[in-house]
Amino acid sequence: MTLFSTDHKVIGKQYIGLALFSVFLGMLLSLVMRFHLVHPDTKVRLFQMLWPEGAPGGQMTPELYLSLMTMHGTIMVFFVLTTAPQSGFGNYFLPLQIGAHDMAFPVLNMLSFWTTVLSLVTLLLAFVVEGGAPLSGWTAYPPLSGLGKITGPGQGLGQDLWILSIAIFCVASLMGAINIIVTVIELRAPGMGYFDMPLTCWGWFVTALISLFAFAVLLPGGVLLLLDRVAGTSFFIPGGLIVNDQVQGRSGGSPLLFQHLFWFFGHPEVYIAILPGMGVISTVLSVFSGKKVFGYKAMAVAMLAIGGLGFVVWGHHMFISGMSPYSSVAFSVLTMAVGVPSAVKTFNWLATLWGGRLRFTAAMHYALGFVSLFITGGITGLVLGQPGLDIYFHDTYFVVAHFHLIMGVAAVFAIFSALHYWFPKMYGRFLNERLGKIHFFLTFVGVYAVFVPLHFAGFVGNPRRYPDFKEYEFLKSVTGLHMGVTHAAYFLAAVQLIFLFNYFWSQRRGAVAPGNPWGATTREWTDD
Amino acid sequence: MTNVARTGQTLLVVASSMLFAAVTSAMVVRRGIGGDWVAPELPVCVWATAVLGPLASWLVLRGWVRGAVIAGGLLVVLQVLVLAELRMAVIGEAFLSVLVGAHALHAAAGVAALARWGERAGLFWHFVGALWIYVLFLFGVWA
Amino acid sequence: MAIAILIAALAGATLALFFQPRWWFPEAISAHARAYDAHFLVTLCVIGCIFVFAQGLLAWVIFRYRDRGQAVTGSDGSSALEIAWTSATAVIFLGLALAGQGIWAGVHLEGSDPRALHVEVLAKQFAWSYRYAGADGAFGRVDVKQIDDAGGNSFGIDAKDPKGKDDLTAAVLRVPVGRPVELHLKSRDVIHNFFVRELRLKQDVVPGMTIPLRFTATKTGTYEVPCSELCGLGHHQMRSSLVVMTEEDYAAWLAEAQQKVVLP
Repeated sequence: MTLFSTDHKVIGKQYIGLALFSVFLGMLLSLVMRFHLVHPDTKVRLFQMLWPEGAPGGQMTPELYLSLMTMHGTIMVFFVLTTAPQSGFGNYFLPLQIGAHDMAFPVLNMLSFWTTVLSLVTLLLAFVVEGGAPLSGWTAYPPLSGLGKITGPGQGLGQDLWILSIAIFCVASLMGAINIIVTVIELRAPGMGYFDMPLTCWGWFVTALISLFAFAVLLPGGVLLLLDRVAGTSFFIPGGLIVNDQVQGRSGGSPLLFQHLFWFFGHPEVYIAILPGMGVISTVLSVFSGKKVFGYKAMAVAMLAIGGLGFVVWGHHMFISGMSPYSSVAFSVLTMAVGVPSAVKTFNWLATLWGGRLRFTAAMHYALGFVSLFITGGITGLVLGQPGLDIYFHDTYFVVAHFHLIMGVAAVFAIFSALHYWFPKMYGRFLNERLGKIHFFLTFVGVYAVFVPLHFAGFVGNPRRYPDFKEYEFLKSVTGLHMGVTHAAYFLAAVQLIFLFNYFWSQRRGAVAPGNPWGATTREWTDD
Repeated sequence: MTNVARTGQTLLVVASSMLFAAVTSAMVVRRGIGGDWVAPELPVCVWATAVLGPLASWLVLRGWVRGAVIAGGLLVVLQVLVLAELRMAVIGEAFLSVLVGAHALHAAAGVAALARWGERAGLFWHFVGALWIYVLFLFGVWA
Repeated sequence: MAIAILIAALAGATLALFFQPRWWFPEAISAHARAYDAHFLVTLCVIGCIFVFAQGLLAWVIFRYRDRGQAVTGSDGSSALEIAWTSATAVIFLGLALAGQGIWAGVHLEGSDPRALHVEVLAKQFAWSYRYAGADGAFGRVDVKQIDDAGGNSFGIDAKDPKGKDDLTAAVLRVPVGRPVELHLKSRDVIHNFFVRELRLKQDVVPGMTIPLRFTATKTGTYEVPCSELCGLGHHQMRSSLVVMTEEDYAAWLAEAQQKVVLP
């Protein structure tokens, strides 16, 4: 039965399928949000059909907007950026590249995929239960997330399901991480040292190590939050609260404690999303430059450095949270330090291109686009990493622009690049190159048009997580900007149909690929 | 034990240690700032359960897996009984509940693994036994 | 080839956006805000140079080494280069981090000013209220049970405490120009955030904590205060104002408001 297959290639494709479903769902949610931001008073019958409670008469309520935002973030971070690059491509290609015949624990591998499915189903159930999906954002800060229905419609069963889903996801990710680490340590082909592995394997290996530590902290964080909601504990809920005119009988809990647990996971999560992509980009740039990766060892060490430093910078998400201002100083210096290995990787990519003979395949286009986006999204980290400057930008659209570029869009470009590069191996056929390039150019222009202007909304001080901007005089100046961004988002979403068509059409009708179509030297092409 | 099984169990131990370390540090912080901390009192019979983990480990090493499964199973049952006595509204007891509950899940998994794979799952079980002593120590001595 | 031109064009368009006047910081109304703007400009110049250099280099390399049938020449590693760019970026990044500590220290690491006007700020879903100590200069005790939003006692000022008799509560934050102000931020339910763009100040308001925030406004006017931490379905409507007044206007307002204080 292939549905419950223990073959790493099947599981890899299943993960990619799950991510593909999730990314389009997440994108549709974002389109609804972008529409509402610029037409907050327009009634839409479709909204009423989809969410009778959340959009009575087709008029979207603020709580519906916030729940869409929560689900968009959660779906994208967990079910797209964490699954496709790591579990999807990692599963398929890690064993092939190190000469193993499968992952170390094939049954566990199958179980982690289906646990991930269970997690996604649990999350999506939140849409249909009473009160709908939670509205506390993908970060779910208590007390907003810890007190139940009293803090908002989706904060009842919807928030419970959300936490449950994340806890299940943690378990699935831990299983996956253990599998990948054991595979790398124990199943490398005889004679293959760690520094003989392709950088893609380094990406998956370091990401699995990060996952092992990060998800082991998020899991208890979620459990404690759930207990605050259902068992009346006071881990994160302080005493003397009055919510909706009702006194809450709790005492002594600390909202900041949750933030520490969450961001101890949450910051490394950024690297979970991007490191596998960095591995792919290194490979693709090297193959289509006709050169070896420049500074292979520095690249591997930079990944380890990013993975390690990534665990001591979480406080930069909390500069203005009320934690000790002295710790902000320390977190700031460490944060700027974690930028160094990222810059080193960029220089090495440029040096890989230097002196090569560049072949502009579709995969190469996405890889070059990735480098450009990585630069654009990365340098604003030098603003946000300084607590003094973060004061103004925290929770504005500047942050939204920053993390969408560096974590979201760059990682997705790496996925596109990987798909175009490895499709011949996965399906024996090419993705259509011409469609791939057209899709690249339109998408590349689209993401710049969506996310660069959002920085400027941040300069105006535009807070994020607002369902509309009607209440404030100073936000009148950004309505035009948001209108432009929304239209760019429509455009960006529309051109993704090109990719979708290409992906399914090429599986059946694409040009048949030879065994090693790109002239690569890694084992997945050269073995068998 | 194959290398794969040993490395896999070692990583599981690392992940579980991280999880317990996270709860421990949350407890340290929460005790420090809450102002409402009361150390839960553990009756002597709870202390006595500390021997069950090492006992089962010893039985595994002696090759009597069935005996180890019985000893481990007894530990899980006693942990469930302890859980039933704890009050979630008292923060110290709530943390103890989380640690006992998390440990009971580990112990149950460890027992199941012993029953299924015998001595090959010994490494994880030794960890589970040590972890229980750590939890008792945390509350008996530190908290 | 086309991609090299596109990268250059998009980088150019991004830069060009910085020369439009419409979407930018509002006017700075304190010494801190001006220091903030100055340091931001320094940071912007540094990252702007990095941006132009890196995107330009990328575009140029793509153009220069496009496939024209040439031989592959470049090397695949150089310790000297690795050391050079690692240390160069480390110096630039850490230098920025250190240079920016001053504005952080100015807000959070300096002690309380003895001349400061103390105002308590209370956030709740979805409104702000402010409490002034009144003529005696001391805040009265608060008691959760005496909270009465409809009766104008959202702080729950204890009727039995004489210090609270003259406490003044208001829905708008009024302060005199040029005088140091120290806010004491509190929340009654969930996390909120107090943000004044013109002061370049933003601080989470966390239930269970009292967080100080200090500023000295140097320009009169009315400034909007948007809640900037997701606090529920009315988050986007949780609006308040900071009114910076001349000393005389402030004194007049205070005297008038003080007369109207009726305690529960």
